[in-house]
Amino acid sequence: MASKEPLTNRSPLVIPCSYLTTEGNKTGSWRFLRPQYEEKTSPCSAACPSGEDIARIQMLTAQGSFKEAWETILVENPFPGVCGRVCYHPCELQCNRREFDEPVAIHTIERFLADTASRYELKFGLDKLAAKKQKIAVIGSGPSGLAAAYFLALLGYESDVFEALAEPGGVLRWGIPLYRLPPHILNEEVSRLQDFGVRIHCDKPVSQNFLKEAKKSYDAIFLGCGHSQSLPLSIPGEGLPGVEDGFHFLNKIRRGDIPTLEGTVAVIGGGNTAIDAARSAARLGAKVMVIYRRRQQDMRAFAEEVEMALEEGIEIRELETPVEIASQKGDLLVTLQKMRVAQEDLQGKARIKPLGRKREKIRVQHLFIAVGNTAAEDWYDLPSKTRGVTKLNNCVLEHRSREPVLVYGGDLAASIKSVVHAVASGKEAAMALDVLFKEGPKAMESRLKSCLVGEGPSLSMEIYLGGPRAKRNHSIVSYESLNTDYFRFAPAISRPRLLREERLQSFAEINLKIGGSLAIREAERCFNCGLCNQCDNCQLFCPEIAVIRDDNPQGRHINYDYCKGCGLCVVECPRNAMVLEEERL
Amino acid sequence: MQLDSPDREYMCPGHVGCPGCGAAIAMRFVLKALGEKTIMIIPACCWSIIAGPYPQSTLKIPVLHMAFETGGAVASGVRAAQDVKGDSETTVVTWAGDGGTFDIGFQALSGAVERNENFIYFCYDNEAYMNTGVQRSSSTPYGAWTTTTPGQQWKRLRKKNIVEALVAHRITYAATASIAYPEDLIRKVTKAKSLTGARFIHIFSSCPTGWGLPSEMSVKIARMAVQTNIFPLYEVEEGLRYTINLTPKGYLVNEYFRLQGRFKHLSETDLTHIQEMVDEDWNLLLRKAGSVPEIF
Repeated sequence: MASKEPLTNRSPLVIPCSYLTTEGNKTGSWRFLRPQYEEKTSPCSAACPSGEDIARIQMLTAQGSFKEAWETILVENPFPGVCGRVCYHPCELQCNRREFDEPVAIHTIERFLADTASRYELKFGLDKLAAKKQKIAVIGSGPSGLAAAYFLALLGYESDVFEALAEPGGVLRWGIPLYRLPPHILNEEVSRLQDFGVRIHCDKPVSQNFLKEAKKSYDAIFLGCGHSQSLPLSIPGEGLPGVEDGFHFLNKIRRGDIPTLEGTVAVIGGGNTAIDAARSAARLGAKVMVIYRRRQQDMRAFAEEVEMALEEGIEIRELETPVEIASQKGDLLVTLQKMRVAQEDLQGKARIKPLGRKREKIRVQHLFIAVGNTAAEDWYDLPSKTRGVTKLNNCVLEHRSREPVLVYGGDLAASIKSVVHAVASGKEAAMALDVLFKEGPKAMESRLKSCLVGEGPSLSMEIYLGGPRAKRNHSIVSYESLNTDYFRFAPAISRPRLLREERLQSFAEINLKIGGSLAIREAERCFNCGLCNQCDNCQLFCPEIAVIRDDNPQGRHINYDYCKGCGLCVVECPRNAMVLEEERL
Repeated sequence: MQLDSPDREYMCPGHVGCPGCGAAIAMRFVLKALGEKTIMIIPACCWSIIAGPYPQSTLKIPVLHMAFETGGAVASGVRAAQDVKGDSETTVVTWAGDGGTFDIGFQALSGAVERNENFIYFCYDNEAYMNTGVQRSSSTPYGAWTTTTPGQQWKRLRKKNIVEALVAHRITYAATASIAYPEDLIRKVTKAKSLTGARFIHIFSSCPTGWGLPSEMSVKIARMAVQTNIFPLYEVEEGLRYTINLTPKGYLVNEYFRLQGRFKHLSETDLTHIQEMVDEDWNLLLRKAGSVPEIF
């Protein structure tokens, strides 16, 4: 008997039907381990002497937020354009990606961000803290002095920078060759600092008397006068015509007084000045040899610079030291003593001794001495007393009652003589002075210790100012703690450079710009160790649907009503930005 | 990893799956791809419990809890009823464990596939009868401890290759998927949903409780199963066209086995033997997919 009624109406379901969800079961009570979001410190940022937040800079770059990335550099370092060119990038040595394929080209990205900011004339939006009553005099407008003035301005202090020469920049302007740092880059960075309120007085050399005078108008004096006095070789014939100081030679070129060099040039020394002088001489047409008393691997010059020097046809003569210079028919006859490695110290650097009386004479047309620099005046020397003196990593403070605080910074006190250490020195001084003025000398060390990046010695201004970075765990992310299943092998970008032949023809900058798409691709290679980049794995894989997206800066939170503490999110977090801890009852 | 899939969840929190349950993750992904117009048949399995005791349900779609052996048959019936009602829009799916698929429900599944019933059969595979206390099934792999293969009596028989058994039926679509590869999983479910006829998706779903595995390693171990070729990701259309979705770089099986308590009794010799079996299976698959295996 067929019916035309729909089937559903005729036979009502008699099976029981659920009418509640399971949301009433608070399965969070099962939990004995608690997953939490916790950002940690990336190894690169701890290796950066100026403590830049590199993992975050890469993350912002990968997202195309170039301005924010650039500003993230500026919180810790006022010179991204300079450091993106001349820094020896110890960060890349510690990059966790090194264990996977190749380190991220952090240095190149820093320069890219500075170039982008310059191209689009970006203005940075950092706010100064409330104005303070203390005033500071900064002597020397090199990287340490300018950094000190910049960070002091950020902390609300007025300062006056006194520069002996006609233009600001110190070693950045007079010591670093044009092919490493074109002057317009320096000018731009300096004028940004001036716009920020840093007052620079050029042609104002400062004498020791100033220290007494300054008492009236300044509460502290930062000495960032640098090491501009070359050390002599102290051998016969040093004063002969044709023998010149390497640093002086570099100064001359930067002033536009460009000599022509013919024949063979010998450069004595193994530091950056020696290599810079050698490469500059090669650009002026000379055949150049660098004579160094130790081995190439012991040179103080940055390895990358030494390699490029070799590429440019410069010969490096190792384990030889000049003992006498004589003049012969207009040429210089240099007597070289052969040296031998007597032993190696803990860092693997050679200790040398003369190799018997084995000597060789070479004939050259010019000789540049670049065996090191020291302070030009003896009142720049660090105080020998210990009372009222605080030694920090990259600066020394002398604070006595009723006297302005005297801070020795830059090359005078830095642990390593480099531009980025000079910046670190200026920053450390600014932070130390702020603590000193507010809380007194006793608070200085402990307060600075709380601002270390990881285990230190780098300091972070953002941590000092209590920014989001202050919440980060100081433990450094190891390669093993990352979940590398989420990363693909990808070689680093090749850094574009002038060809060897092009380099030798002029003082044009060697490293070339990279474009935005390459920069993004490279920044995407970064593991962002310890940082959440909103990859959403924790939310995606949660079996309990207990990770809820929201609009707080973390972008999500864990609903502990339901989280059973399986810990899956912590393991699937590719960058170790979460932690699993025992539940506290 | 961000998925380009709807944020909508068809599962509620508060379910009673064990911490780190792979089957719960599998369900979340599958429902995201299927959407709300879905009727689900669950024969006896872990999910009979996870879905909640009456009157609760953790799923936001209609679910029919059924007897162990009926996964294929009930789905055929529900599909027929939907057709009578003129509802061709709703997807009928069966969600069964490995016991209800490989063993007890195999007859009903085989029948339904032979009739080319228009439904999707999902098997979330945790490689034993986990819900009833870790008894071995024909999906339990060679070498595994279970409560019915204890001590030195560990299972010395191979895991049944269920996908190949269904491919022998010339099934419309059969695929393997893993909770560690959500993009691949969701793509396969979406693809299956767009086809008509019998479809089968075999999802590797790790079980921390039954495998002696720390709960946080649940997804990691599923990924390792794929990377070691123990559980290759592939799909077969019309029982003929094979596509291998991921060719791993050839990791060795050791690490996968060493992480799980159920394999801790295995010696190096056993592992070498297992490596040979895995290589043999992989080469067989490569041949079926038309690639020339590297060995042989």
